[in-house]
Amino acid sequence: MPEEEAGGESLIHVAISAEEVFQIGPLVVTNSMIGALLASAILLLATWYISRRGSALIPGRLQGVIELPIELLAGIISASTSRWRSYAALILCFFLMILVANWIGLLPGVGTVGINHVEEGHEVLVPIVRPASADLNFTLGLAIISVVMFIYWGIRAHGVGGYLRELMGEPLYLAPLIFPINVISELSRLISLSMRLFGNVFAGEVLLATMLALTTFAAFVYPLALFIPGLFVGLEILFGFVQALVFALLSLTYISTAIAEHHEPGDASDHGETDTAHSSHPPAAEAATT
Amino acid sequence: MESNLAAGLAIGIGTIGPGLGLGIAVSRAMEAIGRNPEAAGAIFTPYIIGLALTEALGIYALVIGLLLMFI
Repeated sequence: MPEEEAGGESLIHVAISAEEVFQIGPLVVTNSMIGALLASAILLLATWYISRRGSALIPGRLQGVIELPIELLAGIISASTSRWRSYAALILCFFLMILVANWIGLLPGVGTVGINHVEEGHEVLVPIVRPASADLNFTLGLAIISVVMFIYWGIRAHGVGGYLRELMGEPLYLAPLIFPINVISELSRLISLSMRLFGNVFAGEVLLATMLALTTFAAFVYPLALFIPGLFVGLEILFGFVQALVFALLSLTYISTAIAEHHEPGDASDHGETDTAHSSHPPAAEAATT
Repeated sequence: MESNLAAGLAIGIGTIGPGLGLGIAVSRAMEAIGRNPEAAGAIFTPYIIGLALTEALGIYALVIGLLLMFI
């Protein structure tokens, strides 16, 4: 259980569930709740700042940087369905929230600055801030939203009977076989979405803690040893972005599958991005200003 | 003690399948892009989704390993 045991003392403290920092009456505030509030505050600040400045037609540098992921995602969304505006808000919200929540775990002080609690007889350091997506509650909440929304949009597009009919598969005599499989696979998306995000971010946190713990003592002698945790911080930047993108894209895929019209051979449903590279500017500008 | 061994086996054996699957997926995607470089945009989205779904299986093994070690 402990990492690098030296006389019964472990170098890092791994906690799967978020630790409590303080209590406000009956409400327990955990460090991942503080991380989630921090991520929301950053997003709200960015939104307020952008709405105050307005979006120029020829963007400056900051606006160009912010529009990069939005443009990428809006290009994919607009290529996927024809009525993308109803879903673009939710997908972009997922992407931005998870992106900021993941990247907060890389700021200096997150996971390291904390208070000492006495747990099981010895003192452990409880960090004050922890990335929100390293908490299964946060990822499960987002996954619940995603599943409920795609089921809701599927029912709104086809009606309850129509949606169940879609779940029963194509040849109707195979329905008793296909219907349970489809229902379970749709409900298991809840577990897969939450577990994927949680596992990636939490494992990244443990990896960073391990790498820092292993190279700290070497760094006193040879400061370039800190290059190694730096590599892993870069890896975590990439994985944080990819996991946010994957969550948003998977939610989009589930929504597109749920609202898809009846299958016809030769249905024109291309997910191509080659011709949306030019047409993604209007969606990006509109998505940024609405 | 046994949970350490179980966690090691979980993560070790559990990533054989996803590793093979990801290798096959990425190699096919590279091959498809190599045949038709203009289709790189069209390949990108299903490729990322396929990566995510396959990698999730490895993440399940990791979560079970973590659960065995720390809970």
